[in-house]
Amino acid sequence: MNTIKAADFDPNFKFEIEKELGGEHLTKCFNCTGCTVGCPITEIEPTYNPRKAMRMAILGMKKELFESEIMWLCVSCYTCYDQCPQDVRITDVLNAMKNIAEREERMGHIKLESAKPAFDKEFVDSIKRHGEVYETGVVIAQIVKHQGIKRLFEYTSTGIFMFKKGKLSLIPKNIKGMKQIKNIFRVVRGEK
Amino acid sequence: MKFSYYPGCVMHGTAVEFGMSTLATCGTLGIDIVEIPDWNCCGALEVYPDMYLELALSARNAAIAEETGFPMMTTCAICFHNVSKAYFAVNESEKAKDMINDALGDMKYEGKEAIRHLLDILVSDYGLENITAKVKRSLDGLKVAPFYGCLLARPKEIARFDDPENPQFLDRLIDALGAESVPFEHKMKCCGGSLLMSREDLAHHLSREILEEAVNVGADCLVITCPMCNVLLDLQQKEIEKRYGITLNMPVLYFTQLIGLALGHKPKELGLDKNMVSTASVTKKLGVG
Repeated sequence: MNTIKAADFDPNFKFEIEKELGGEHLTKCFNCTGCTVGCPITEIEPTYNPRKAMRMAILGMKKELFESEIMWLCVSCYTCYDQCPQDVRITDVLNAMKNIAEREERMGHIKLESAKPAFDKEFVDSIKRHGEVYETGVVIAQIVKHQGIKRLFEYTSTGIFMFKKGKLSLIPKNIKGMKQIKNIFRVVRGEK
Repeated sequence: MKFSYYPGCVMHGTAVEFGMSTLATCGTLGIDIVEIPDWNCCGALEVYPDMYLELALSARNAAIAEETGFPMMTTCAICFHNVSKAYFAVNESEKAKDMINDALGDMKYEGKEAIRHLLDILVSDYGLENITAKVKRSLDGLKVAPFYGCLLARPKEIARFDDPENPQFLDRLIDALGAESVPFEHKMKCCGGSLLMSREDLAHHLSREILEEAVNVGADCLVITCPMCNVLLDLQQKEIEKRYGITLNMPVLYFTQLIGLALGHKPKELGLDKNMVSTASVTKKLGVG
């Protein structure tokens, strides 16, 4: 059994989360397990447990959370959100934690191992470039980077079907209001 | 009845049949929908970690709709959730309203009217009895499994539909078309969509359970309201069959396609040939070529 040392925890982590949009209600959590009952991921993936994620956040186990896959296993179904008697808004709290991690990665402070934040980044970057998401490019890039080119070839027949049915576009197109999209990214993230 | 229509990116891509059947169905029902100009992507599920960005992206679309003077409408459960969030944010907090409008620059979002989902409009405003009156081809004998998924019904304060634990609006719509809505335990379960690109195994597991229940209750098809659910349940169905060595063969229709069939539209007008799993068993049962 691993020993964890309380002295290694980051006591400010909970306050950091509460400053994020969506993270405000974290410390209302009294660990009742209402969230975990009915979580579709907990049922099939024993390493994931929303109650445990809330507990780890309150204790300040930032490093353990950021170095594991835990928060990237949430499927955003909002089941726990509706079941929580304390209105912790768990889905949003998890997102606030992810936001801190993704921001720290953008600043080059940490490297996230999960393929989920990589896909989030691919997707959001596409919006920043085009205004609309360029589905085809985003999905192909993610499959090649995280599942390998071989997996992409396994999708050939699906891809051909989709192309024939007009479900795949081969060229991204930009919306007219790109100036406004750039402004949103500049104000929200300080990005040029 | 006139609405500003926000289709969302997928209507130009994987959900092209959802867009087609929405236009056809609303046209026949006499619901006037006008696409808002130059809309952007709402960020879907991938923008969720950055809530400020999520709110700002959706507020831009809502601001464009607000200028038209007509209430905003969408058919995508994810777009619906994201724009609703922006609406509640500006109405509940002055600070959030200022932050959002800062990001919008030369545009302004007041949050005057909440976005509506087409299914809600049909049940709450248009009236199911008025839909029944327009049915030209009764779906009598067709067993349909209603699948609500996540974001149409949760969180309850955003969705604002009939019963957050056991919603009925899709069941009632199916019955109003002459078909039979079968009791469906997985109706509010998650398809696993947001994990498809990172943990395909988990996503497939969740979708398999939904599809298997549909098979086990003897449904002729599943009816959905979300383009992400379509990716998992329809586009990925063959992959799920391959992974587990099972046969499902479960047609998955958008609710607008089902309505369109009852209103007498040709399958092609509703994009039924664009569904990945063949819908021929459904049209054959209804005697439509």
